[in-house]
Amino acid sequence: MIVNDSDPSQTRVPVWDVPVRLVHWLMVLSVAGAWWTADTGRMDWHQYCGYALLALVSFRIYWGFLGSSTARFSQFMRGPREIVNYLKGRRAHVPGHNPLGALSVVALLALLLTQVVLGLFTVDVDGIESGPLSTYVSFDAGRLAANWHDKLFDVLLWLIGLHIAAVLYYVLIRKENLIGPMLSGKRVYDSDQPAVRTGSIILLIVGIALAGMLTWWVSRAFQ
Amino acid sequence: MPGKLFLSFSSAVFVVSLIAGANAANPATPAELQKARHDHYHELGDAFKEVRDQSKAATPDFAALEKAAEVVNQASIDQQQWFPKGTGQEAGKTRALPEIWSKPEDFTAAQKMFSDRAPKLLAAAKTKDVTAVQAAFKELGGACKNCHDTFRAPEEH
Repeated sequence: MIVNDSDPSQTRVPVWDVPVRLVHWLMVLSVAGAWWTADTGRMDWHQYCGYALLALVSFRIYWGFLGSSTARFSQFMRGPREIVNYLKGRRAHVPGHNPLGALSVVALLALLLTQVVLGLFTVDVDGIESGPLSTYVSFDAGRLAANWHDKLFDVLLWLIGLHIAAVLYYVLIRKENLIGPMLSGKRVYDSDQPAVRTGSIILLIVGIALAGMLTWWVSRAFQ
Repeated sequence: MPGKLFLSFSSAVFVVSLIAGANAANPATPAELQKARHDHYHELGDAFKEVRDQSKAATPDFAALEKAAEVVNQASIDQQQWFPKGTGQEAGKTRALPEIWSKPEDFTAAQKMFSDRAPKLLAAAKTKDVTAVQAAFKELGGACKNCHDTFRAPEEH
């Protein structure tokens, strides 16, 4: 479907708020940074990337409960029936993630969180470099965390690849640009779509402060 | 006159005792030596983690710290015996690179850096000065890296 902006029934409406977009792209940068620093042995910077991801993921989960309507899990988490209906071609009635894309959001967030937590307990083979919470576990447990941290990263890469492939499918085959809205925040929708409810500025500040405090506390090993 | 049976019996005993004697002089196969080395480094990693954990703790356990520093120090002396010829990649899977045996002077120098710096960590642990321990730990970590960069293969992923 080629969308014509001048069509009166089609309007550009806000769909993703600033926090959602900023978190998305900062996650891209942090994951890329974590990957590069791990591959080149810059473990101090790798830890900073991990802390950035801890703050981003924890804020995103918070915003998934208290943020703008399209950021909320309750809005985009759908049961299997709606996923099947979507696959059969029924269009979503509200702006935001479609029922299938929602699965990718949740899977990526869950995997990122697992990766970060494993990284916090990771110990390197020499017992020299280690995550801040590794002081609470044995050398062997820390090595086990390191192994899983290493293996799950491959799973994460596959999921990211799937995510990108799905976005490209929408852009190239279905002619729906999903990348532009993640940058500008606006998307063309039928004008009878319900408006996106924006999040509260106070809840936003509280969320950023909470995510920051949690990350600081964890990086200090709760001391 | 001793029978054939007796002769073969006594020669069998002789052969068995020869094998046993050879075994006593050379008790381990290359694979066993590799495993022993791996276990030694595992113990060393464990001790290193203990030093690191205690040096970062709000209330360090100095007894545990000193005990771990002792293990590290002892390993820095013992490691000179951990790389007998024939225990490289030719004997089985190991991250020990052939350079260990092809550049023996360089390898000995790298090992000496470890055994020179390890006593400083132990001395720092005995003074119960956390800042000194952290400094000695960092310096010692440099010795590990120095050797690993040249003589240990990168981790497989």
